[in-house]
Amino acid sequence: METIIDVNNLCKTFKIHKRGTGFKGAVKNIFHPTYEYKKAVNNVSFSIKEGEMVGFIGPNGAGKSTTVKMLSGILYPDSGDITVAGYVPHKQRKEYVADIGVVFGQKSQISWDLSPLDSYEVIKHIYKIPDKKYKENLERFTELLDMGKFINQPVRQLSLGQRMRADIAAALLHSPKIVFFDEPTIGIDVVGKDKIRKFIKMLNQTDNITMIFTTHDMQDIEKTCERLIIIDDGKKLYDGSLENVKKGYVSSRIIEAEFESLPITLDLPRTEISDVENNAMKKLISFNTDEVSVNELMTALMNTHNIKDVSIREPEIDAIIRDIYEGKIVMN
Amino acid sequence: MSTYLQFAVIKFRNKMAYRFDYLLGILNTLLSFVVYWSIYKALYGGASEVDGVTFSMVTTNFIISLGLSSAFYKNEMFLQDKIKQGTIANELLKPVNFKLRMLFEDVGEGAFNVAFNFLPTVVIAAFFANLSAPSSVLNVLLCLVSVVLGYIVLWQISFIVQSWSFWLFNVWGLITIKNVFVNILAGAYIPMWFMPDWLRNVIRFTPFASIYFTPVQLYLGELQGWDILINFARQLLWIVILYVIGEFCWRRGIKKLVVQGG
Repeated sequence: METIIDVNNLCKTFKIHKRGTGFKGAVKNIFHPTYEYKKAVNNVSFSIKEGEMVGFIGPNGAGKSTTVKMLSGILYPDSGDITVAGYVPHKQRKEYVADIGVVFGQKSQISWDLSPLDSYEVIKHIYKIPDKKYKENLERFTELLDMGKFINQPVRQLSLGQRMRADIAAALLHSPKIVFFDEPTIGIDVVGKDKIRKFIKMLNQTDNITMIFTTHDMQDIEKTCERLIIIDDGKKLYDGSLENVKKGYVSSRIIEAEFESLPITLDLPRTEISDVENNAMKKLISFNTDEVSVNELMTALMNTHNIKDVSIREPEIDAIIRDIYEGKIVMN
Repeated sequence: MSTYLQFAVIKFRNKMAYRFDYLLGILNTLLSFVVYWSIYKALYGGASEVDGVTFSMVTTNFIISLGLSSAFYKNEMFLQDKIKQGTIANELLKPVNFKLRMLFEDVGEGAFNVAFNFLPTVVIAAFFANLSAPSSVLNVLLCLVSVVLGYIVLWQISFIVQSWSFWLFNVWGLITIKNVFVNILAGAYIPMWFMPDWLRNVIRFTPFASIYFTPVQLYLGELQGWDILINFARQLLWIVILYVIGEFCWRRGIKKLVVQGG
């Protein structure tokens, strides 16, 4: 398989206007504006092969969306090189965007006042999609995304999940070679998320479309991607298989327990106890299932302490990133 | 080109959806004509001409300026809104030339204005006002050509001011100031015949004279021979100059674009 996306030492800095608070701040701001510079993307490099499906993950403000916007030719990078399918996106924007599709979870591309079908007709003209291909794609997506019921309704009357599906179809009608999904499941319920993930996964397999998927929902990545790039604070922290991360991720667990008496002592390997804000009786116990089983831990706890309430938490994406920082997950 | 025409057609169709709006539009256009017509009627006070300019020439000037200002539609908040709301991202993802797409949407709306506001106004105005007939069919054709050129001049001025929203985010104030300049200096309020000579000479070297006054003069047959060519050349020159400035602003702007939200 050939490399389709090649990114080298990509950087982008934003100038942020710092505004004072209140009336005084606003007045001061007129005469003496202050700025700060934020490195949104800091020296990021990676390459992606044709047909690959790569998940970009990281907390809010990590630089995922900025990277995707540069990859799709909307933003100019400050420095570094991007080549996608033989194009330099920001320089050959008009020709380049005809070959890609982009779905923004937070920005609808279809017209608010028109029905999805009307918007698709416009897209057909803009991208000059041949009649036959348009009809084929439309029928296929209507069926797969289950859009039959609402394809003729004005977009403003659709639910978020329906609108998202209509948006995804809109980005795919012209059969792009590469599709960027920027948080496509944000704010959507579990059933809706599942439909979207299945569709994306299927399309990647049957049509060999290269896909890049940004999200801060670990589940999205788990259900769709094999390769994972973790970005935080503008820097690439991890680039490798999902399996590798999952090993560390799946085996670490946190138990939240409320005790009747303090203090708590536990004599188990690599088990840490930390406090919970606003509740002295509640503790978080983190441990690794490779070394201590849930059973062992619970038995140890029950034998020595009286427990009022207990629940098991899966670590969040922030915790995984912290683990990577601390070297608990091996980077390749 | 068919792609861009599509943008014009969609805009035209969208406008058709609001019927009450265009009835009001006719009333609005007619009212502004009646106001100017009455003012100049009083000023002429029954005299057949002032400084060699007849009352019917003045009336015709207003009708043409009115027609042109409804045809010369431009959505001046277009770029600012797209940048403010971050929807410019979606625009840049379309494989089309952004400026042409913007221009054609305005053309669609302008065509609607001419068909549903201006033409009805002319028909009504013809009943009570004495309009000058064009001096010849050739003059009408020349006038139409210069109308198209005049529109491109005006549109580009608007685009340049709009493109500053890449830096300023809010250009409403600048647009308002620009419109005052355009309307006065281009002769939409006071016909250029009545301006002092020195002002006329200054305006001749600005793009404003190319917008309304050149078409009016061509329609009335005030320009002959070489003068026609010189005026066309002047319009074309301004189109080129403004295009270069517009492209420069656009390219610089797009480089520093910050996509708002998400």
